[in-house]
Amino acid sequence: MSVLRTIAALALFSVSWCLTAQETDTLSAAAVYGVKTRPVVRAAEEVYLPQQPVAPQQVAAVLQHFTGVQVKDYGGVGGLKTVNVRSLGSEHVGIFLDGIQIDNAQNMQVDLGRFSTDGIAQISLFNGQKSRRLQTAKEYASGAAVHLTTERPMRFFGSGGRFRLRGGSFGTVNPSLMWDKDLGRNLSLRTQAEFLTSNGKYKYPFFDTTLVRENGDIQSLRLEAQLFGNLRRGEWDIHAYAYGSERGFPGPVIRRAAGFPFSAERQADRNIFVQGGWRQDWTDRYSSSLKFKYSNDYTHYDTHPEKNPMAMPYDLHYRQDSGYLSLAQSYVLADPWSIDLSTDGQYNALDSDVGQFVTPRRATFTGALATRVAWYTFRAAAHIVYMGAWDYFDTPSAGGWSRENTYRDAWMPSLSVFWMPFQWLEIDAYAKRSYRLPSFNDLYYSQMGNSSLVPEQAEQLGLDIRFSERKPSNYHLDVRISPYFNRVSNKIVAIPTSSQFRWTMLNIGLVDVTGLDTRAEAGINRGDWFLEGTLRYSLQQALDHSDTDSRTYGNQIPYIPLHSGGIGLEARYGYWSLCWDTSISGGKWSRTANIDDYYIKPWSISDASVSRLCYLDNLNTMGMVPELTIALNLGNIFNTPYQIVQGYPMPGFNALLSIELNW
Amino acid sequence: MLCGALVSLFACQQDPIPAKDADLNGTSVDISGIPAGISKVFTLNEGSMGSNNSTLDFLRIDDARYVTGAFKKMNPGVGAGLGDVGNDIVVIGNEVWMAINNSGLVEVISATDETEITAIKVPTPRNIAFDGKYAYVTSWAGAYANYGADYSITDYKNPKGQVYRINLKTKKVEDSIEVGYQPEGIACYKGKLYVANSGGIASSLPPDYSYDRTVSVIDTKGFKVSETIDVQVNLKGAFSDGKGNIYVTTFGNYMDIPSGVYMIDASGTVKHVADYVSVATVLGDTLYCIGTEQESDWSGAPKTWKAFTCKGGVKSALDISVEGNPYGICAMGGNAFLIGDAGDYFNPGTVSLYKNGRKAWTVDAGVIPGHFAIW
Repeated sequence: MSVLRTIAALALFSVSWCLTAQETDTLSAAAVYGVKTRPVVRAAEEVYLPQQPVAPQQVAAVLQHFTGVQVKDYGGVGGLKTVNVRSLGSEHVGIFLDGIQIDNAQNMQVDLGRFSTDGIAQISLFNGQKSRRLQTAKEYASGAAVHLTTERPMRFFGSGGRFRLRGGSFGTVNPSLMWDKDLGRNLSLRTQAEFLTSNGKYKYPFFDTTLVRENGDIQSLRLEAQLFGNLRRGEWDIHAYAYGSERGFPGPVIRRAAGFPFSAERQADRNIFVQGGWRQDWTDRYSSSLKFKYSNDYTHYDTHPEKNPMAMPYDLHYRQDSGYLSLAQSYVLADPWSIDLSTDGQYNALDSDVGQFVTPRRATFTGALATRVAWYTFRAAAHIVYMGAWDYFDTPSAGGWSRENTYRDAWMPSLSVFWMPFQWLEIDAYAKRSYRLPSFNDLYYSQMGNSSLVPEQAEQLGLDIRFSERKPSNYHLDVRISPYFNRVSNKIVAIPTSSQFRWTMLNIGLVDVTGLDTRAEAGINRGDWFLEGTLRYSLQQALDHSDTDSRTYGNQIPYIPLHSGGIGLEARYGYWSLCWDTSISGGKWSRTANIDDYYIKPWSISDASVSRLCYLDNLNTMGMVPELTIALNLGNIFNTPYQIVQGYPMPGFNALLSIELNW
Repeated sequence: MLCGALVSLFACQQDPIPAKDADLNGTSVDISGIPAGISKVFTLNEGSMGSNNSTLDFLRIDDARYVTGAFKKMNPGVGAGLGDVGNDIVVIGNEVWMAINNSGLVEVISATDETEITAIKVPTPRNIAFDGKYAYVTSWAGAYANYGADYSITDYKNPKGQVYRINLKTKKVEDSIEVGYQPEGIACYKGKLYVANSGGIASSLPPDYSYDRTVSVIDTKGFKVSETIDVQVNLKGAFSDGKGNIYVTTFGNYMDIPSGVYMIDASGTVKHVADYVSVATVLGDTLYCIGTEQESDWSGAPKTWKAFTCKGGVKSALDISVEGNPYGICAMGGNAFLIGDAGDYFNPGTVSLYKNGRKAWTVDAGVIPGHFAIW
């Protein structure tokens, strides 16, 4: 790595990445009805990855630069990474791939560290309510949403592809290959393969010594195939995905007797899904969208007590199956007024060899009725969602106590308004109430669950004020100021009962969040030069209001900094680009008791990247010029020791070299 | 929890030694009602697993102060602090021994000034008992049977636990012996050790998915299991009343079998004494317990706690009005008790002094103040 370090030292002036807002509010000349093409609200944050000079390898790394998003990162290439938006809790954040939710009924946590940016075109964050035509009902039903949109093949004839090789710190080697083939005028195929290996080793300070993170290695393989078809007044796609990984969990860093490892835990998993959609404009007024997904996830978790005398001897297998079908319909009543009806059905099953396991099943129905008016300068939408979930069991009396089948339901109303009083000023406002169902772990985990839980509720009020000033060939200035108020009630919290071995989950939490997200971006173009700077700042006061008698009443909840933000700079000259990003996270506490013992000091982390694009003119075939991009990403340049989750040290300085060939 | 009748033999009542910890100010409290002869009462706060936040507090009688976080303050050289999940604390002479479960250490400190004497490596230590020569530590012992000798692996997918024997003078592990599944409490009386086996982990593992229900009796001379007594499922605590009776508590199976207290008398006969016990401690010949009949109520509603004593195998009501989430109790004699309240089990809890059944004061402690020892 010393070579990379030298390069790093030379490139210390380099710069990061900036999230260029993608203009989605397009006015197509062919559109008959304005309401069909005007989204009521914009995404709070959006990044179009093909425009990034150096896209990070993981989706989680993109999200951590969005204002209002907290990425909970356990460190390392294979470490769990979940997102929390505006203190709602990660269970309230729906993660969608092409409009279909990536879910996990077992614990409702989606590990965004598993999702590669390869093949993803756009990542968007919606606070409040996303409101587009032909959304699935589930898209209306999550508190906040992160949408991943796959990149469509841009090739109209022949075949082409992309090979990318990344490698560097932690013994990381990450080759990926994408290959597109045109299969006739209205059909194209995209295939992808990606392999990742990393030993996960990095040094971190542990009080007065330096240790090396052990058992954090990972090997993973991802294979994907997608077919995209165009119809006369519609389109369809089908997407097959397989991901397998084997990794170690390095465990929390604690005081431990010499010779006993922190952890020998391993997990092998396999995720397979097939999903697809068919959108059709039946008439100028009526359109429909049908979507489906089948997924099968398998996990094997083993603590390996034979390698670790401190381990509890667990060797467990889980299998989750899920089937999903959605029909969305949209009808233009009178332009610009439309009405949408979306209906989703889903089935989830969880099987395991955990002792006394009840093998839960869940059938969920979600229905959403939405109506929109969308003039050019004023738009409004009202939505109402009904979600009902029927939980039952294959082995209801496992362990000797019987569980009753339970039906849980909730109504979720929301309202969105958009107003553009001037060309340079846009105002969005939303009000929303949403619920998240208890996970299978919350409900039935052996010796822990509580089957009488009700869904956790999130209420949100928010405003987005955007100023923009732009001359496309010259400069642009965008400023967003977004104040909000969120309340999470009936929050599901784990509490031990009369013995420490017997935990239960209760709907006892109440959190009030008052916050402000701001973002300012300014860029100038001068001939071959392009310069852009971004400032991000978030204020987030998230207070525990669960119990007025509690000694922690009114305290800031764990892991939410009052202040956070960052600075991004990007410079491009010809085919060169330099990016710099500094993220700052203010002081916070790891407990609701806001005392010194649990205080986490502020930290700031700087990353940089440099890249060069080359056109391989001498390999020109039929007018297509292959492109070669060489990029160097430098992480945590100042080698700052920090932890996002207490007990899980993050890596110090690291470097990743990437070579990409597009043809 | 205090363990064994020998506590009184070793609880030296000497003149207070000037200690460096006198500089630790802590919180001023009213010590009236606490019987004479006590120098300090130590509180071991468990902390949360994986958070490395077990801490040691003490109540110092001579200047009436309750000091928190004493181990870290007196041992700045032990950078990682006391460690992860303090599960038991006992006073042996002028030493304090603590089982730091998830650190794999038995921490030995000086009772006078809380400075570290040594930390002994024992896999997943749970509870400590002792006689004149040895300390005995129960251990879930991970995969390793006979860890002290040859590291041989037995049935590592569902291993039995161990009792480690540590020389009090050399502080070295000298031997270990296999007992039941996930042994918890241990009591020592007249050359015999009584080990309460829980099977808390075994109950969630194949092939049997069942709790252990036995007490392993170990002869300290040959250090062999001489007898295995069937008591009840999921045993937790073991206490000697110093008169030949051993009290054993169980958590029950969280279904049809409630938690309870059983007594093994000198002849080995098992007698059911009481139901519903969450925390227990022994002082002299009496077992002091707190429990609730609502232990299977998961609604989160406040529970009605009842305190009682067991003496000679007979249960009697004890007038203490306990609230909150009691997690540890220390009987100091003279109707004075310290009770640890775990609060929400995530944030620091409290310790209260109860005099004649009423709460006299409450101070902030660490996370899950669960275990006490008197010096």
